[in-house]
Amino acid sequence: MSVPPEYYLILSAAVFAIGVFGILVRRNALMFLMSVELMVNAANINLIAFAFFYGNLTGQVFAMFVIAIAAAEVAIGIGIILLLNRNFDGIDVTEAVTMRW
Amino acid sequence: MSEIFSTAPAIVLFPLASFLIILAFGKWMPLRGALAGIVATGFSLAVSIWVALQMALNGAGPYQETLYEFIAGLEGEGVTLTFGVLFDPLSVLMLIIVSLIAFLVHVFSLGYMNDEGETGLPRYYASLSLFTFSMLAFVVSDNLLMAFVFFELVGLCSYLLIGFWFRRDGPPSAAKKAFLVTRFGDYFFLVGVVAVFAVFGTTAYAGENSFINQAADMVGDGTEYTFLNLSSQQVIDITALLILGGAIGKSAQFPLHTWLPDAMEGPTPVSALIHAATMVAAGVYLVARMYGFYALSPNVLAILALLGGFTALFAATMALVKQELKQVLAYSTISQYGYMMLALGGGGYVAAVFHLTTHAIFKALLFLGAGAVIIAMHHEENMWEMGGLKDKMRVTYLTFLAGSLALAGIFPFAGFWSKDEALFETLEHALGGADVLFVAYGFGLLAVIVTAFYTFRMVFLTFHGEPRTSHAEEPHSIGWNMKFPLVVLGIGSVVAGVLNMGVIKEFIGERNLFLAEWLDGATIGEEYGTEAFALSYGHYGDLLSEYAGYEAATLSPLGPGAIALGLAVVGLGIAWYLYRAPEPEPHMTKLGGARTVLMNNYYQDELQVWLATGVTLPIARGANTFDQGIIDGLVDAAGGVSMYAGERFRKIQTGIVSNYAALLTLGLLLLLVWLGIDGGWWF
Repeated sequence: MSVPPEYYLILSAAVFAIGVFGILVRRNALMFLMSVELMVNAANINLIAFAFFYGNLTGQVFAMFVIAIAAAEVAIGIGIILLLNRNFDGIDVTEAVTMRW
Repeated sequence: MSEIFSTAPAIVLFPLASFLIILAFGKWMPLRGALAGIVATGFSLAVSIWVALQMALNGAGPYQETLYEFIAGLEGEGVTLTFGVLFDPLSVLMLIIVSLIAFLVHVFSLGYMNDEGETGLPRYYASLSLFTFSMLAFVVSDNLLMAFVFFELVGLCSYLLIGFWFRRDGPPSAAKKAFLVTRFGDYFFLVGVVAVFAVFGTTAYAGENSFINQAADMVGDGTEYTFLNLSSQQVIDITALLILGGAIGKSAQFPLHTWLPDAMEGPTPVSALIHAATMVAAGVYLVARMYGFYALSPNVLAILALLGGFTALFAATMALVKQELKQVLAYSTISQYGYMMLALGGGGYVAAVFHLTTHAIFKALLFLGAGAVIIAMHHEENMWEMGGLKDKMRVTYLTFLAGSLALAGIFPFAGFWSKDEALFETLEHALGGADVLFVAYGFGLLAVIVTAFYTFRMVFLTFHGEPRTSHAEEPHSIGWNMKFPLVVLGIGSVVAGVLNMGVIKEFIGERNLFLAEWLDGATIGEEYGTEAFALSYGHYGDLLSEYAGYEAATLSPLGPGAIALGLAVVGLGIAWYLYRAPEPEPHMTKLGGARTVLMNNYYQDELQVWLATGVTLPIARGANTFDQGIIDGLVDAAGGVSMYAGERFRKIQTGIVSNYAALLTLGLLLLLVWLGIDGGWWF
């Protein structure tokens, strides 16, 4: 007997909430990136849970795509953070406001 | 038969070729391009005469062909714009006139320009060739749009040539004036062309579906044209008047005549070309070309006759007091074209074309003669500085005298026959019931006296009496290249009347009125005068009696001819009486205030300048203010509001990523709550 899908959903919601919390309260850009990863993976948990539940592979395939895109996103994100560090002597996201107007 | 006509477009293309050649290589050519121009116009003349002979003797023609379609209309609707050629008696006659005068003017220019060591000759000859080309193309046009295109090109060439000596003060402004005044008329012409397209869908002169035939049908069956609640007759009247605007501008009729006297600033051979063949003739030719259209409209014919008669007299009075040789001739040109308009308005189609022909010959002769005198006088143009030239310039004097007798309308010179016919046709139709023509005829008769007077005042002052200056005592000699055109045209001025001796038609018989027979298409194909080529004299006569109500009264032409000749002799006699003395008095100064008015051309120039600066300019200023203030103001206000709002609104951007993330999350939450309430999750 397998685990019922509600448990997966609760887990996913919890992980997503942790990610949102991280984005709202943290100022460190690296923490931002990690929080975003948490949110992406919360979505992945959902996808795989439903794929398992319905017994077809589409969700799993989508999860693979999401992982690939997340990897690309991290690569770009790290690049941005590097530049942030160079230009503003730190990676505090609230410092980088010079391009607003 | 039609192989003649497949080569005939070459008449038009020779001068175009010489224009291009002179433009490219003029500097290195013999006689600075004059030779190319002479050869090209000579070929044009030869081919024109050949075509005319084929038509006269072998019955070739008429011929119409569309050569190039540059915009194809939609299937079944819309208009098709084409270039094509139309060879019929009228256009072929005009081709001969234009190429003959152009040829002689080129030859004369050798003496007037080359021998005098003028600079810029390649430009001069290139412009002459282009001028000839444009006029020839205008003449063979088979539709109104093509005619308009070349009408404009003619105007451009006149601008180039009048302003030939552009380093002096006068010529550039005279050129500009000629261009602008004629453009003003052409503006109406353009609107007229568009109106013809809009009403009839075609501007072809010939063919069963030509706009002229369509117009006749429209008036004939009383079709109501619904545009602006105009009747079909009114539509045709308005269109005819609009196109007449172009003719008035080009043919220098009142009130757009003011450019022509100023155009004397150009070289004299150019004046001869403009006045006799290429530019001023275009207006009259245009009306003659689409005469079938004008014949439908009695009102426009009456306007044409009155305008022509008035202009003939009005311009002739101004010529009375002028002191420069070329000025007198300039006003006489305006006056003579007035006669042609009078003839057209008076129902004398043949008379108008006849006068166009003879006038081309004798006016070219007079201008070239004046050119010879000016060269001999070392570029002095004031007649009071001349005198006594008749013995020293025998050839010039005799030919100039022939031209003057023709201009004054003395028997048996060319001008007598044609002017008399113009007056006779008008009188004939006036007696036939068209009362308004009496007024026009009166103007015309008065102008005869004035014309003879100013012509012989000019002759006596220039050639008779004692030399009044040292230049007049020792005139510069002129070469064969100036004498040859004078002699050719001089002979023409004497004999051209043979073409159509209308005055004595009772003795020689109608069959021997060669020009009338020619224009009626008696020598050419049967189809001339039928629906397909409704362009013959006979057809116009039918239209005139059917639509314009012109009936010819039974009247012998001898009486009116004698009256006109008598008046001309009276004018000549007065001139002889006043100016025959060896040292003539300036009698015109006795006119006092009237002379001042005439010298100032009835203040027409001042009036036009005032219209431009006193009326048009304030209106333009007002329009500018409206445009800048109201139209642009609205647009600027819309932009200004957006800019101001954007300036304020962009301040809500903090640039802090966390704020944006918070707003996103908040938005998501609100959405969820709304969905929840809407979806009834809790309640």
